[in-house]
Amino acid sequence: MIGQLWINGEWCRHDADPAAPLHRVLRENLGLTGSKDVCGEGFCGACLVQLDGAPIAACLVPVALAEGAQIVTIEGLDQDPVAQSLMAAMEAEDAVQCGMCFPGMVMTLTHLLKTCPTTDREKVKRALAGNICRCTGYERIVSAACRAAKDLVAADAQKVVA
Amino acid sequence: MHNAERWADRTTIHLPATAGAAVKLLGELGSEGRLLAGGTWLMRAPMTSGHYIALAGIAELRQIEIGQDRLRIGAGASHAELALALDGLDDLKGLADAAGGAANPAIRRRATVGGNLCTTAFAASDLASALLAAEAEVTLITPAGTLRQELAIYLDWRRTSAAQHHLLQHVEVSRRAGRRLCHARLPLRRAGDYPVAMVSLAAGSDRQGRLADVVVAVGAVESQARRWPALERTLTGQLPCRSAAITCAQANLCQFAGREGPEVPGWYRQQVLPELVARAVAQWAKAGGQE
Ligand SMILES: Cc1cc2nc3c(=O)[nH]c(=O)nc-3n(C[C@H](O)[C@H](O)[C@H](O)COP(=O)(O)OP(=O)(O)OC[C@H]3O[C@@H](n4cnc5c(N)ncnc54)[C@H](O)[C@@H]3O)c2cc1C
Ligand code: FES
Ligand code: FES
Repeated sequence: MIGQLWINGEWCRHDADPAAPLHRVLRENLGLTGSKDVCGEGFCGACLVQLDGAPIAACLVPVALAEGAQIVTIEGLDQDPVAQSLMAAMEAEDAVQCGMCFPGMVMTLTHLLKTCPTTDREKVKRALAGNICRCTGYERIVSAACRAAKDLVAADAQKVVA
Repeated sequence: MHNAERWADRTTIHLPATAGAAVKLLGELGSEGRLLAGGTWLMRAPMTSGHYIALAGIAELRQIEIGQDRLRIGAGASHAELALALDGLDDLKGLADAAGGAANPAIRRRATVGGNLCTTAFAASDLASALLAAEAEVTLITPAGTLRQELAIYLDWRRTSAAQHHLLQHVEVSRRAGRRLCHARLPLRRAGDYPVAMVSLAAGSDRQGRLADVVVAVGAVESQARRWPALERTLTGQLPCRSAAITCAQANLCQFAGREGPEVPGWYRQQVLPELVARAVAQWAKAGGQE
């Protein structure tokens, strides 16, 4: 059986079972390994991808239910200005350790920065309730998200002035 | 094991467009068929061979209708959709808190109200507790017809063989003037784990500002959420203060036997109940300006 998914702006075909979890199909059938396979139970957030604009745990989505949706994986965020600003802030805050949790963190925080540009530490922490970092670098990650929020607001203000 | 071996085309996912069509399929497929809503419970273990009837394409199940005196929640509405819809409704804040505080944001976007109430193996359902306190009723569609039940009855009925092949269509809650619903939950940490215990409280007040018409429900402590009638009687007529709440809860604590679990022992779930009752009462008082 052939399934078809709209991922990062293009159609991708696969032959996985309809009930296979989306993250496994991304990783094993389509070579998109940014969505990590960690807990498989929705607790850690390492597998997050965006489905129709919002982060969801890909490990709990049967691939057949993702058909017709717009899927964006971490690989698809390389042209996204918000994600780019966030990743620059992560680097500046020295927030990345082993990196296992990062695709999921970026998925959550990019969505937060887009839906709530004037974010603060408390909101960032609430948004990250489903993202576990085993290297426990949470405070730096929160600082990076707040730094990115400020940078993005400043960049927007500059655009308005120009 | 490789993906292709583990999920080798053994599954069929059906996508009916109406609730009626979903129930018809359930009847036809018999023990082979199973409803699939958000998948956040079912997908925790690989879904093995069989037929899954996905509810995701059924628009009627996603509707949330908020009337002056009634709230109707379609079973296919997600926790996030419910929390958003109830935002700002003071009388139903406890239900908004239950929907908006359960799990984590990514799960709340997918997990449905129906899936939460229909999962018999799940003891820590926030919505079951909050909706029990709200004295909710559920509407079910079975191959034999439509059935309406109090949620309290449904929670037992869903475990019986008579419950095979039913679809929970919607949940209804009456909104009564002067009544407020609150929900206090205790997770071990804030990061979206299952709550250890929860208490939901619905009550009005008499002329002296004392608690009246009290309903209390407890979730996660035992294998299924249930009401706490002895506490309801004891709290009625009390001032909404911390000391009264703790004293009343402690006097009736023996009515619960805490469930043993990997995260906490049973006695712990029981012992935190007075504090959760006090928090629920404090929320109730705050919402009514009686702090
Ligand atoms: C990481 C994580 C944390 C969680 N934390 C919490 C928490 O803090 N509080 C809480 O309350 N819950 C929590 N949950 C549980 C979560 O709420 C449930 O997994 C979810 O509500 C199930 O809904 P679903 O739509 O995903 O159901 P599915 O997984 O699709 O289905 C679950 C069951 O319900 C049946 N079903 C679904 N819809 C219907 C219907 N309309 N009629 C009849 N049967 C139906 C299915 O056949 C299946 O048996 C958590 C889950 C996860 C993964
Ligand atoms: S792998 Fe999906 S949440 Fe952990
Ligand atoms: S950086 Fe290692 S798990 Fe987060």
